[in-house]
Amino acid sequence: MATHAADHGRTGQPAPTRDPAQALKDIEAFGLCIVPGVLAADKLARVRDALYRAASEDRARGWEQKFRLDYAHDDTNQRVWNLLSRDPVFTDLVEHDVALDLVKSVIGWPALLGNISANITGPGGGEMVLHADQIFVPEPWPAAPQGVNVAWCIDDFTDETGATRVVPGSHRRNRSPTAEEATTASVAVEAPAGSFIVMESRVWHKTGHNRTTDRRRAGIFAWYTRPIYRQQENWFLSLNPAIRQFASDPMLVLLGYRTQGLGMVNGKSPA
Amino acid sequence: MDLEAKKHQLLEEGCCVVPGILTRAETDDVRQRLWRAAEESERRGVPTRRIGIDPNEHNVRVFHLLELDAVFRALIQNPVAIDFVTALLGPDFLISNFTANIALPGSRSMKLHSDQGIVVPEPWFHPWSINVIWCLDDIDAENGATRYIPGSHRIRWQSEVPENAAERTVPFEAPAGSIAVMDGRVWHTSGANVSPSRERALLFGYYSRSFIRPQQNWNACLSDTTVAGLSAQMRAWLGLDARANVKLAEPLRILDTAASTANP
Repeated sequence: MATHAADHGRTGQPAPTRDPAQALKDIEAFGLCIVPGVLAADKLARVRDALYRAASEDRARGWEQKFRLDYAHDDTNQRVWNLLSRDPVFTDLVEHDVALDLVKSVIGWPALLGNISANITGPGGGEMVLHADQIFVPEPWPAAPQGVNVAWCIDDFTDETGATRVVPGSHRRNRSPTAEEATTASVAVEAPAGSFIVMESRVWHKTGHNRTTDRRRAGIFAWYTRPIYRQQENWFLSLNPAIRQFASDPMLVLLGYRTQGLGMVNGKSPA
Repeated sequence: MDLEAKKHQLLEEGCCVVPGILTRAETDDVRQRLWRAAEESERRGVPTRRIGIDPNEHNVRVFHLLELDAVFRALIQNPVAIDFVTALLGPDFLISNFTANIALPGSRSMKLHSDQGIVVPEPWFHPWSINVIWCLDDIDAENGATRYIPGSHRIRWQSEVPENAAERTVPFEAPAGSIAVMDGRVWHTSGANVSPSRERALLFGYYSRSFIRPQQNWNACLSDTTVAGLSAQMRAWLGLDARANVKLAEPLRILDTAASTANP
């Protein structure tokens, strides 16, 4: 793991921090922060088992769905969608207080959960297209980020295993990269399993190239937006009803069932 | 009717009135069905007055028009209405809401706003929403015509809103059976109904770009029976399925080659 201070000086990316104030400063300065050691070993193992079980099931059943920004002919990388409906343990990530506090600081509250999906790189797996997550907002963009992505490292994120690559500071350009900028120099965001990486929605990033011959690298991406945007996953169509039934108050807000102004039913919030 | 000229007016002034979409008999029928829908709404426990957005009880608001009567499901997808929506927003839109606001004598004005500006942060360079307003009565300044500032769809930043904005508004006048079409960026307010006895029934068909969250949660509020009767096109426009919020990513083609910029 190349996470020592000297390396950060070279790459211009932030050092891992457990201090929320520093994490927010990092998001402002770099467009991202790294928060290590959030999931204890037993919790991490529980989440990891649930994720790889769902991934295996999808692969065995031919349920895998490609993502437009991925390498098209890649049979080793894998996406797993709508994790909330696969195992209730993923709700713990969505509303984890350390992550959610940062989300609230970056985009305010109420916020919506656009999606929570996994991106598992496999041996030899190719890169994604460089992009900013708020790509769906027509430019010119508002002054503030419209979303935030919390990337949970379920395996160690290393350069070799295809850690997410970012262009630190690119959020300040406040626009998507052009086609010519797709090859802009990027750095691998390395972090041990159990960490999370927060990327505000304007920072340019992509999945890295997995250069190993035998290792997979799972990341779970919880994507939050300001409440005016349509969610990426249509929860009202696809969510396991038990998740809604037992949802906490913040989770009802994030899913869009407890709402103000938009997403109403007969002029009232549906929950 | 020269619809192209009306579309030009919509793009230039932010608003246009297209008369004669409904005949007098059709308008009377829709108005009757609207009052029945209001009663049905109350019967189902969804109040229609004093719901918190009007200054007093003289406005009747009916929310679930699409669920309550097939005539409203027809109006929201009326070809002329869709033509204007597409002219402004392009084909990538969702039906955000369809509600009624009947202003009875004594109803008062709302605060000046743009529908887009109260929801999405500045700057407002492009139209992200549109109102198609069905006029079920003759509408004029006396019975509470919507007042708007012509050309105000060009306001891109809050700082460009003129200080005397409220004084610059003009009422739109339209005979019953018209639609008034308004860019979501136009600054406007509901007018006060100062007439002694005239009602002013308007239906607001609101459409927004597909990345914007619709005002109404159609998945949660339409009954199975209603959904079963919808065309594939209506399901798409209501966002009932796994669709929308994807158009801007489409120019990004799926990568044909396995790239690597990782540092060895």
